[in-house]
Amino acid sequence: MNPRPPVASSTTPSWNPLKTTGTDLPVNLAILVKVLAIVVLIVNHVRILPDPWLSFIPWIDRLPAEPFQRTLQAVFVISAVAIVFNRRLRMFSTILGATILLAVVSSKAYYGNNKTFCGLMFLLAGLYKPGGPPFLRWQLAITYFGAGLNKAMDADWHSGVFFENWAVHRLHQSVYITLDAILPPMVLAKFMCWSTIVTELATVPAILIPSLNYWAVLANIFFQCSLCLFTGTTFTLFFYSMTACSLAFVTWPDAPMRVFYDSDRRLFVSLRRFFESWDVDGRFLWTDNGARGTLSLQAGDRRYSGFQAARMIVLYNPVTWFVLAASIAVLEDVPGPAVLCRRVIVGTALVLLMPPLAYLSDLCFPRRDPERRAMVRTVES
Amino acid sequence: MRLLIPVLLLAFQLGAIVHARFVPTRYFCWAPYDTQTDYTATAIVNGRPLTAREFQKRYRRPQHGFDNRSPQHVIDMLQQAEEKHAARGDQTTIVVNYRVNGKDPREWHWPRAE
Repeated sequence: MNPRPPVASSTTPSWNPLKTTGTDLPVNLAILVKVLAIVVLIVNHVRILPDPWLSFIPWIDRLPAEPFQRTLQAVFVISAVAIVFNRRLRMFSTILGATILLAVVSSKAYYGNNKTFCGLMFLLAGLYKPGGPPFLRWQLAITYFGAGLNKAMDADWHSGVFFENWAVHRLHQSVYITLDAILPPMVLAKFMCWSTIVTELATVPAILIPSLNYWAVLANIFFQCSLCLFTGTTFTLFFYSMTACSLAFVTWPDAPMRVFYDSDRRLFVSLRRFFESWDVDGRFLWTDNGARGTLSLQAGDRRYSGFQAARMIVLYNPVTWFVLAASIAVLEDVPGPAVLCRRVIVGTALVLLMPPLAYLSDLCFPRRDPERRAMVRTVES
Repeated sequence: MRLLIPVLLLAFQLGAIVHARFVPTRYFCWAPYDTQTDYTATAIVNGRPLTAREFQKRYRRPQHGFDNRSPQHVIDMLQQAEEKHAARGDQTTIVVNYRVNGKDPREWHWPRAE
């Protein structure tokens, strides 16, 4: 009945970078660190790792510059490559995180929030303790709290002056400029400033209260993607690290997820062939349930059907995250249409993978799911 | 260690967020892209003005540019770099003309007037 072994039974990590099974981290954290490792390697972040210069810790300035920088670079690359190829993820994540944070404190020229956050993601994932406190989530909460508080205490954010200057004079954001010209002065700027403050501060309790975590993840992804779409940039590593942190809220089922489909319909057979072609971990077990016109996914105790099932099959496949991150990162320094391509990738992913499209599709194209209809009849009666 | 290090890191950040309320700098308190500073700087070292390339090499930032955080971060880098060079005997004057979020121009001088 079940031709594939349970995913969790795979105890040896594979050298295949697309696989995530058998590592010493839970699947969600394995994906998190692998996504970030892929990104830092693709954007060649190693080239900007610094020598000591106006460090935050005075004795670092006294270390020999070139050996310090070369050591950082060597450890950085070795750790990132090891993570990509599933070698001792916990240890190399800790080392890579510590390396990035050491680089951050060793040079004011290198210092940046994006690098600090990325380093913390690696370090906290590496220090993960099963059943321990959710430090990665708390890190995200502190980040949003700090960002929201600083803006809430800044007069230029109250008045909209910051956004007006940033969008018009720095970014030359054409959509913003067009809308700004139509609306009364500073209305759009104030709206953008206050919506940012409210989003950042409201995300904090959503992160800390488990029952609101779903909304925290949506808010985080939507906010970071909106920033990327608006500015066209990834803020070096910030976009990748903040969005990847959402994975800390997700638990992957240990056993393969069952996908029920109707093998009489060519569409579903094609879908199965397509999805299985990049299911390198063997996370999905396709089963013909003989019911016409249905596609459903059983993931742990959650059941999805129709377009939601298709969406979740994509989201539960780690390859999705690797491909998305790599395709955005590869554009980082490419001259020409990189900004447009980045926006297209982020915008397309946002539309296709966030809940509304699948929800609306299921409304517009109701499926003939006998179990669901039975459930609806039960509820109605 | 797997508990202590994360706890210390998170506590440090909370401390930095509180500390930032009392100082002009914004280090480690999660204030990215909260302030836009555009600046133009000139530096004269031992009587000779620095070229743009020399300025970049000495202060690791361009002579004309932007910073996405507190203007104090730009000033910090120039000032601390000069404090180090002063120990080696350099006589330097720096003038930075800058604007925060596009508002009225401001000026910063090194050495600071007593």
